[in-house]
Amino acid sequence: MSSSLQPTWPDQHQACLALAFDLDGPTGDAMLNGSIWRKPEYFGFGGYGPYRALPRILDLLDEFRIPTTFFVPAWVVENWPKQCQAIVERGHEVAYHGYKHESFYALTLEQQKDVMHKSREVFWKYLNIRAEGFRTPSGDWRAETPAMLVEAGVTYSSSMRGDDRPYLVKVPGFDTPLVEIPGRWEMDDYASLAYTRAPDFPSGLDRTASYELTLNNWCREFDGAMAEGLCLTTLFHPKISGKPGRILLLEKLFEHMRQRDDVWFATCRDVAHWWLKEHHHG
Amino acid sequence: MADSIVWPNGYRCAVVLTVDYNDIHGILTQAPEVAGRDKTLSVWRYGTQRGVERLLGVFAELGVSSCWFVPGIVAEENPQHLRAIQAGGHEIACAGYRHQHYDNLTLAEQSAEIAKGCAALSALTGQRPTGFRIPAGNGAPGFIEALREHGIRWSSSWRGDDLPFAHPTAPEVIELPLHYELEDEPYFAFNLSPAVPPAQSRIASYSHTLGNLKMDFAGFHRFGLCYVLRLHPEIIATPGRIGVLRELLQSIQQHDDVWIATGAEVAQWWAESAAPVTEDHPAAVYERHYRDYGV
Repeated sequence: MSSSLQPTWPDQHQACLALAFDLDGPTGDAMLNGSIWRKPEYFGFGGYGPYRALPRILDLLDEFRIPTTFFVPAWVVENWPKQCQAIVERGHEVAYHGYKHESFYALTLEQQKDVMHKSREVFWKYLNIRAEGFRTPSGDWRAETPAMLVEAGVTYSSSMRGDDRPYLVKVPGFDTPLVEIPGRWEMDDYASLAYTRAPDFPSGLDRTASYELTLNNWCREFDGAMAEGLCLTTLFHPKISGKPGRILLLEKLFEHMRQRDDVWFATCRDVAHWWLKEHHHG
Repeated sequence: MADSIVWPNGYRCAVVLTVDYNDIHGILTQAPEVAGRDKTLSVWRYGTQRGVERLLGVFAELGVSSCWFVPGIVAEENPQHLRAIQAGGHEIACAGYRHQHYDNLTLAEQSAEIAKGCAALSALTGQRPTGFRIPAGNGAPGFIEALREHGIRWSSSWRGDDLPFAHPTAPEVIELPLHYELEDEPYFAFNLSPAVPPAQSRIASYSHTLGNLKMDFAGFHRFGLCYVLRLHPEIIATPGRIGVLRELLQSIQQHDDVWIATGAEVAQWWAESAAPVTEDHPAAVYERHYRDYGV
């Protein structure tokens, strides 16, 4: 439930920035329906994310000392294990994002459990971690999904869009609620910068936005959320905003963000732990 | 810092200026219903009418070489332009004979297109092309090997990297990968009816597009990569937009460590100097998996 109280943050910080990337690689609808195997060009477009963009993003995150959450479909971990291990080794968080970026709305409960089980095995085998977080891929989830997640060991989700601060979701049958850290489309790089043909994105092949004006939008979102003492997360994608020109855009954004010394830069996992501690009293 | 030193003579990054010269054949593939509609076709004929000459003019003014992908049929219909491109010292590369959507062709048909396109260009220029770009769609399994067998040594149809790479199935063929953000079409292509783009999007801001392209270059330059610009004469070479290109190229030329070269030159350097792709390269990952899915 959302609270009307002003959120509080650790160590007298005034607001919170939970930077997050979805490392989708070539997973998604075209892989789920098999069409990607006739589209090597499109496969390459996706593979660029873990192969080329991710290592440069990790360097940039080191430079700005920003702990970050990467939501990673397990298929990407299986195929780019070295790159994904580097995420963990460099102090960031890896969390669930499906096996091949399935829409959980399109899965039965059993299929959802299978995806979580498979992902859990892959994360343990290749990364030696147990993930705590989940961001639902491609659209919605089903009413039974939150309980399925808690049962699978998930403590927080970053899937919803309807608030600008974390909140607790009571899950019937479980004592501990699920923390939701909602994202906003305004902070999704797909909304401004993604473009592909066949499959067409945007569906009407609308123009790619100005980088300069996109940066201005993102800075305004950051400034507004920080001024109100909220928690801002992002839905960035290495294959989109980790391209060589756009990583300079991220660099400018991070420079802007780091001008404030009263912001708590934290992984989604740390935000979730803090929120539970502050707001869940059994 | 650049990721590593990969370019000759102390150059920090490479720039390859590529032009897709399709006349009306590109839009006929994209929207076959425009056949016989002169007003719509004239939007794309503008390239032949004015764009090619203006584009060659700015390349000559700035002293840069470029690489033109020309379907055989466009070359045969416009031999004077082909001669002008050649006379300007630019590379002429193959895009098949007819402008086709390769997803709709079998490997044998694709291979026949390569052969016929190369033959048409050879007959007109006296030189066999060594580069190839798929005009639309994807090559079938075995396509890269077919390129090799037709004497093609470099390709520019894939994405998935920002440096050239040797194809895992035919390392003699070097790929110069594409990037949507380095294409003029997504920003500027427009027709009212039939609608291009399909959503009837506004034409992008010229100034902001120039800003994007400059920032993209800054990134490719910083990381020491291969900036493959993809232009169309009917789109970029208008009186108003040619200035966008001129300003972009002038800003690139302010750096003395940028290698502006043809596709053939960059591919030859890569073939001589670079290691094979590693198993985590997207082309290698694709190669490992696609057979499992019945392709």
